[in-house]
Amino acid sequence: MTRELLTGNAAAAWGARLAEVDYVPAFPITPQTEIIETLATWFGEGTMPGKFVSMDSEHSMLTAAGAAAATGARVFTATSSQGLLYAAELLYTVAGWRVPLVLVNVSRALASPITLEPDHNDVLAARDSGCLQIHAETCQEVLDSILMAYRIAEDPRVLLPVIVNLDGFALSFTREPVTRPSLEQVRAFLPPYSPTHARFTAARPMAQGIAVLGGALYSFFRYQMHLAAQNARAVHGEVAQAFREAFGRRYGLVEGYRLLDADYALVMSNAYATRGKAAINRFRAQGIPVGLLRLRVLRPFPALAIAAALEGKKAVAVIDQNLSVGFGGITVAEVASALYQERDRPPLLSYIGGLGGKDLSDAEFDQILQDLQRNADTGHVPPPRLLYTEREDAQTTAFLEVAGKGTRHVE
Amino acid sequence: MRRIRFHGRGGQGMKTASRIVSTAAFREGYDTQDAPIYGAERRGAPMAAFTRIDHAPILERGMIAAPDLVVVADETLFDDPQAGVLRGLQASGTVLANSAHAPALLRERYGIVPALAVLDFTGLVLSHVGSLAALSVALGAATCRVAGLCTSSVEQAVQEELEALGLSADRIERNLDLARLCYERVDVWLPVQPAAVPAPVAVPRPQVVTLTYQGPWRGTPSVAAPANTPLRKTGNWRVWRPVIDLARCTQCWMCFVSCPDGAIALDDADTPHIDYEVCKGCLVCVEECPTHTIHTLREAEV
Amino acid sequence: MSNEPKAYRNIKDLAREELILPGTPLCGGCGGLEVLRLASKVLGERVVFVNAAGCFTLLALFPYTPFRGSWLYTTMASAPAGAQGVRDALDILRAKGRLSPEEDLQVVVVAGDGSTYDMALSATSGTLHRNLDYWYLCYDNEAYGNTGMQQSSATPFGARTATTPGGAGGAVDGLLGKKDIFEIWRAHRPPYIATVSPRHPIDLARKFEKAKQLKGPKLFLAFAPCPTGWGYDPARTQAYARLGVECGLFPLKEAVYGEVTHTYVKRTWRPVEEYLRGQGRFEHLFEPVRQEALLHLLQEGVDRYWAGVPR
Repeated sequence: MTRELLTGNAAAAWGARLAEVDYVPAFPITPQTEIIETLATWFGEGTMPGKFVSMDSEHSMLTAAGAAAATGARVFTATSSQGLLYAAELLYTVAGWRVPLVLVNVSRALASPITLEPDHNDVLAARDSGCLQIHAETCQEVLDSILMAYRIAEDPRVLLPVIVNLDGFALSFTREPVTRPSLEQVRAFLPPYSPTHARFTAARPMAQGIAVLGGALYSFFRYQMHLAAQNARAVHGEVAQAFREAFGRRYGLVEGYRLLDADYALVMSNAYATRGKAAINRFRAQGIPVGLLRLRVLRPFPALAIAAALEGKKAVAVIDQNLSVGFGGITVAEVASALYQERDRPPLLSYIGGLGGKDLSDAEFDQILQDLQRNADTGHVPPPRLLYTEREDAQTTAFLEVAGKGTRHVE
Repeated sequence: MRRIRFHGRGGQGMKTASRIVSTAAFREGYDTQDAPIYGAERRGAPMAAFTRIDHAPILERGMIAAPDLVVVADETLFDDPQAGVLRGLQASGTVLANSAHAPALLRERYGIVPALAVLDFTGLVLSHVGSLAALSVALGAATCRVAGLCTSSVEQAVQEELEALGLSADRIERNLDLARLCYERVDVWLPVQPAAVPAPVAVPRPQVVTLTYQGPWRGTPSVAAPANTPLRKTGNWRVWRPVIDLARCTQCWMCFVSCPDGAIALDDADTPHIDYEVCKGCLVCVEECPTHTIHTLREAEV
Repeated sequence: MSNEPKAYRNIKDLAREELILPGTPLCGGCGGLEVLRLASKVLGERVVFVNAAGCFTLLALFPYTPFRGSWLYTTMASAPAGAQGVRDALDILRAKGRLSPEEDLQVVVVAGDGSTYDMALSATSGTLHRNLDYWYLCYDNEAYGNTGMQQSSATPFGARTATTPGGAGGAVDGLLGKKDIFEIWRAHRPPYIATVSPRHPIDLARKFEKAKQLKGPKLFLAFAPCPTGWGYDPARTQAYARLGVECGLFPLKEAVYGEVTHTYVKRTWRPVEEYLRGQGRFEHLFEPVRQEALLHLLQEGVDRYWAGVPR
């Protein structure tokens, strides 16, 4: 066990190394490339037995990853944003093959406009695919989640790929203290992958991933994936328990921060949840009972855990670092679905914040708190808001001028 | 509502037949709905199509599960459980079949219970147009008669559908003659009636069940059984059966080598034997046999 | 692959056993299936076919498989990448002692021209560049077959397809004709490329047997006459395969590390017209009037090819 400073990307690479993955097909994309560069070095120098291969595209990369898993190998790969979407077809395909693998997505906002900074539209685009999703707040959690993800993915009650998400820049390039377990410790926690349901050997020919015609048959197989994903809630619980016993760190489907005795709650995910926690501390120092619910496992969707965590709250504000254009925040709608059947469900306030890695300032958190308090007093639920400050607006206007789009010019 | 289901082999024109009926009814002022149903199958393989005709907008979708009229272009399909020709047809329904045999024989051979009208449409088609593709027109026109549609609608529909397929005016004219002929020859009449009383539901209601997790072995769409396609019995595709004259066969291996499906096996004496359970009747072997030792028989007559 | 290569002198040297069983949903008279069947007799049972979307995807349709070997359907664009994954995983499992040598398999991509000539170029090029040890069999029926015979970049000039109702290729100057996939592959200098025909089983068997001795990518371009798509009586599939070769339209050749040898050469080839006649997709070249200019172009194309082949 070692405690050192690691970036999120380095922590991800260590996760793969400690899990003793056999195979890493790779393709570069900002902001994940450090992960594959590190792994390339380790495979190259023989530290990691197995194979690292640079593929021709993410679509090919994920095909190779799934095919290797279908052959019986433990596979790891990583991508972001445009790459994840280029491989999108394979997210559904590989999940449908019912083979495990871990795909690290280093979140990055989607084009257009093309950018490099994080938000969650990329990983959330995968939410219907059958791949499970774990979203990490810290570099420690990145490493830990990868180890847990293999054990969950390879469990016969699950057998689905797992996406571990970490924010580009905020985590990927940011160093912070990480406790790195030893290989022996991990071996005790994570058994080898020995599949019987999906392999290619001469003695036992199998036809995998084949065509299915007939709605009833298709429905059966597709729904089995859903049942497997549902199983993953309980499996996650078991694995988290084992993880805690092995390594001392505790993870749930969600995380509550100063939430139990709170009147109000913020709901956030990923690295910006840290900002949220800082805001909570600030409010608490002023005597305002606010807490934070961090969504960690997005698939399977932890509806009961969310409903339980938000029970009795006077008002809840969900900050979505994503945007479903024409609809609004994705997470707020999913949280609403978790609360819908509850008799005393709290009002949900919806905020879009941090798109493209936009900063979330104290002032913006203050605005949210103000709205929460006003709701408590008057019952008013404001319409969904984009968190965007006056200063940012002025800046944008200035840039538009420079781009020749100013109000002085005739179109 | 009149619910008509057509059964044929790919290439026999049942899709066009269903469209002729639908177009005719539509031109006559009915509301209609028609579609083909393809499996994974190809030319020669069983396929189906359907046409719904009603006096009001049709609030049904998908394959007809409970037809009142079934039209069968190829009698060998009666024998094929996968084709499901009679599935869902009540005893009060009607079957219109293409066959040179007498109705009584078909009844006995295939266990057909509902009303059965039989005509040698193939014979008519071959003598009047020459191309088996015209089965579409023959059966389409006959079905229109059964559905109580008038001749002008049928002619208009045949014209429209064949024009859409790019046939020349000449050929369309000959097909129209065929259509009139077949229309006249059929003596069953079940016109579309407006619904006075809701039809009693004859189809048993299935129970909705709860699926449970089956584990990765059963729950993954993979096949662990080795090489089991012979179970599919594609021999039911055949219209013509290749027969090897074993007395004249020189054991040259050509037919065995040439069969794309591998349906011909060699015994210890190198004599070829065709597996009729799976032979699709493509007749490549007939063409490739250097001594012309393989001849063909109409499957319907075997 | 250290076995003594088997000699194929006549068709009776072919294995009797079927490794791809009948009963599949493929069209009767499928030229592509004939090639796959013959190839499988040489490749043997210990294979995993990695498939791209196309007609052959329906070979394995739940709950059936025709193969004595294994099969993995991937996507339309990435079967070679799937082959990469399977091959690498088998190698890794062997190296780590999790798979014994007898359990190892040959990896064989099976793809149509639609996938091969277009979408899968990136994935294929990647495997050639990486010298992946695998087989690639393209069954070329010169259109997107499974979707109803739309034009692909393998569609020859003049052919009618569902999306070229007037015949493929624009005005006489703007020829489209087939992409030369053999040359695209050959630019990578893989160990082995060959063209094969279903009607030339000895040539085919020899080529597969020869490739068995080589490690790295082994690519096969198969002439796959298609009764459904080309518009002819299925019984004539082998006849058209023979005509295609005898008219010089489908050269039988191989390239070993980029060096080309033709395995069937004649002094004079039969007129291309003999091949074109009787195929529904070329009917418009003859009826209602003969399209002399187009027929001439097609013959010229074939003549030009052979003029460039050293005797």
